[in-house]
Amino acid sequence: MTGPVRILLWCAGLALAAFLVSFPLHANGYYLALGISVLYFTILATAWAMFSGPTRYISLATVAFFGLGAYTAAVLGETMPWPVVLLAAAGVGALTAAITGLSTLRLSGIYFVIFSFGLAELIRQLVIWYEVNIHKSVGRYLFSAVTQEVLYWQLLGLTAVVFLVGWMLGRSRYGLALRAIGADETAASHSGIDATRVKLGVFVLSATFMAVTGAVMAPRWTYIDPAIAFNPTISFQVVIMALLGGAGSLFGPVLGVIPLVLLFEVLTATLPNHFSIVLGVIFVFIVMVLPNGVIGLFGVGRWRVPAGGPVAAAARASDAPLLAVDGVSKSFSGLRAVDGVSFTVTPGEIIGIIGPNGSGKTTLLNTLSGALRPSSGTIRLGGTVLNGLRAQQIARLGLARTFQLVRVMPDLTVAENVAAARLFSTSNGSGATASELLDLVGLGKMQEAPASELTYIDQKRLELARALALQPRLVLLDEWLAGLNPSELETGIALIAKLRDRGLTIIMVEHVMDAIRALCSHCIVMNAGSVIARGAPEAVLSDPKVVAAYLGADDA
Amino acid sequence: MLLVDIILPGLVLGGMYALIALGLTLQYGVARIMNLSYGESLVAAAFGAFSLYSGLGLSPLAALLLAVPIAMALNWLLYRFLLERLMRRGKDRGAQEIDSILVTFGVLFVIQGAMLVAFGGQYYSYGYLSIPLTIMGSTLAVNRLVALLFAALVGGAVYLSLTRTRIGTAVRAIAVDANAARLVGIDVAALSGLAFAFGGGLVAVGGVLISMFLTFNAAMGVVFTMKALVVVIMGGVGNVIGALVAGLLLGVVETAVARLVDPGLTLAATYALFLGVLVIKPTGLFGRAAS
Repeated sequence: MTGPVRILLWCAGLALAAFLVSFPLHANGYYLALGISVLYFTILATAWAMFSGPTRYISLATVAFFGLGAYTAAVLGETMPWPVVLLAAAGVGALTAAITGLSTLRLSGIYFVIFSFGLAELIRQLVIWYEVNIHKSVGRYLFSAVTQEVLYWQLLGLTAVVFLVGWMLGRSRYGLALRAIGADETAASHSGIDATRVKLGVFVLSATFMAVTGAVMAPRWTYIDPAIAFNPTISFQVVIMALLGGAGSLFGPVLGVIPLVLLFEVLTATLPNHFSIVLGVIFVFIVMVLPNGVIGLFGVGRWRVPAGGPVAAAARASDAPLLAVDGVSKSFSGLRAVDGVSFTVTPGEIIGIIGPNGSGKTTLLNTLSGALRPSSGTIRLGGTVLNGLRAQQIARLGLARTFQLVRVMPDLTVAENVAAARLFSTSNGSGATASELLDLVGLGKMQEAPASELTYIDQKRLELARALALQPRLVLLDEWLAGLNPSELETGIALIAKLRDRGLTIIMVEHVMDAIRALCSHCIVMNAGSVIARGAPEAVLSDPKVVAAYLGADDA
Repeated sequence: MLLVDIILPGLVLGGMYALIALGLTLQYGVARIMNLSYGESLVAAAFGAFSLYSGLGLSPLAALLLAVPIAMALNWLLYRFLLERLMRRGKDRGAQEIDSILVTFGVLFVIQGAMLVAFGGQYYSYGYLSIPLTIMGSTLAVNRLVALLFAALVGGAVYLSLTRTRIGTAVRAIAVDANAARLVGIDVAALSGLAFAFGGGLVAVGGVLISMFLTFNAAMGVVFTMKALVVVIMGGVGNVIGALVAGLLLGVVETAVARLVDPGLTLAATYALFLGVLVIKPTGLFGRAAS
């Protein structure tokens, strides 16, 4: 951007800010009320999109938090100073979000949507129950000295805060973590991201804004009862506005708020009785025709993580076994998929795990990486027992993996996929940068491409780069070479050999025996959940038991 | 006797929930539409039965013959012209679910708005077969028993047609894996539409039967949707027997809470049960473990 253009933009921005701040001084009551509507829906829709945009956990509970805030203000408004009331509203909203989030965000997205759908109704009924049985009167009056102008300025301040917080969140590692979770939650947690905690944190943040908005808006009504405060249409309007504008970016929702507030204004004046029908039709139309919102039409890119910064594939030399697996079993009801498997891995070696399909190899890897909990036995990495740890904790301890059915985060760029894996890395970061890692696996020229556009083999390469970005001590490769053509296979084997020469320790599950022979110092053969042979590849592959397992006893 | 006073009406209510949930499990389990306007369809059917009874003197049981085909036709049109496009557009099951949730959320407000225009916000009820009957020392209206009987008949018929007929087997195949069903020559789009329409027909049956003994208004659809969803999830998606057990359980728990604690807290009890099941068994009481 050239100097004069930048100055011009700054001037325009300042003029807009001055206009917004001085708006109540020259607007009449009607336009002021309209301004208030625009502002409070802007806050609600932006706060909604802050959580639901990147994660795609559609929350239908906006009004639950908004109403709680309004009710808090109605209860405390006459006895407490106003700032205390706002703080209390924020606290009530955050606490409720934390409780509901803790119980539902661990579950898959659909349960969260359903729960949020009924949450407003639940809270409304609880409030009514409390008012009837304990307060002995359902409605409450709130007389306060807050004028429309002051209300407007409070909302304007809150709008500034919500945009600032949204912007900072987008720049922080939590912003990328949230998008990684939205793209592929399993891959995200195997990249060291604590999905539940990140989701919960942002959900609470978003609900806090909604509750404070409710409190700020409360004086506008004078009389508050549960039907007013918990009006489900508000949740609905907020979702429509955010989707119309585009929930995937910070300034998307406001593009939906302005036209729809004006439209609702016209509708309530002209068609008061058919309001919700028209609303519903508009909503269906938006979902059908504009899935990415208005902002999606202009192809406005989201904030991208610049490649670079230190990422290492560091090796720590030591004689003690890096990984010690002792008597690990995993049962699925009656079936023992993994049955009493023990082995150790010393630093710097490549261990191969082979065996016929269904012999429990991937299940074993899943117990190591935390995707499954072992039914019995212990797994130690360095000195740390891994049993019972979650995937992201194991990833942060330095155990990275790739998946048999490749899992990249499709909406993120190649560079962002790698960056996501070092968001919560604890090491001090000496070593390869993200671009060096991508060069290493042969994706150096594709850093800005969305991961979904990569070919299958390139997605596998990306998964490996992402695993390396965790600066792992041990990498689990689950049939990483499967599906490669002969020349790709050669490059792939050379790449794994290069990683070993850098001192990386690897466990590879593989059906490509040439690769096992070329790379592994030691291998384990599994059949029906148990280890049937172990030793150097050549010796193991000629073992009659192994041949029988692969080919059947008669052919051996 | 207090226990019978809770168990009997609880089972009647629970039988209704199971029937309603059966329709939702067809729509969600087979057609993969998480239909948030489900409860509104139910209330619309209740209003239909009310209008026919108070306007033409038509018995609600006769109204079923009218309400079910109409509901099936409307649901089929909804699927064919709106939802099927979303199913084709969605990249994966997650995207399809979210799109269907959003669209049916819009449909919810359309139906609710139409009912508000036609009937306003007040509560409605009518007296059909409200003859008291004493069973084991507990008094129950005949209309509740008739409703339960009909629910059992309809539910049983649906269960048998799902498990004993070719089309029913094909429908269950789609519920397990739509792509695999397509590979063995099942017309997934057509049968999904059929399952969705059938689900709509079942909810109409539920609405008509419930209108015989409950008061209702235009705004209470959400509560029915929630309860149906809770039952489906507790029973395990696509599991007919699970829905029956979960429905009965929910009916009894609700009646017990209303009777022993406070009628205003029934929804809270529903939620507590829902969360309890999800936290302990995320795939439902009878659900299979996710892969």
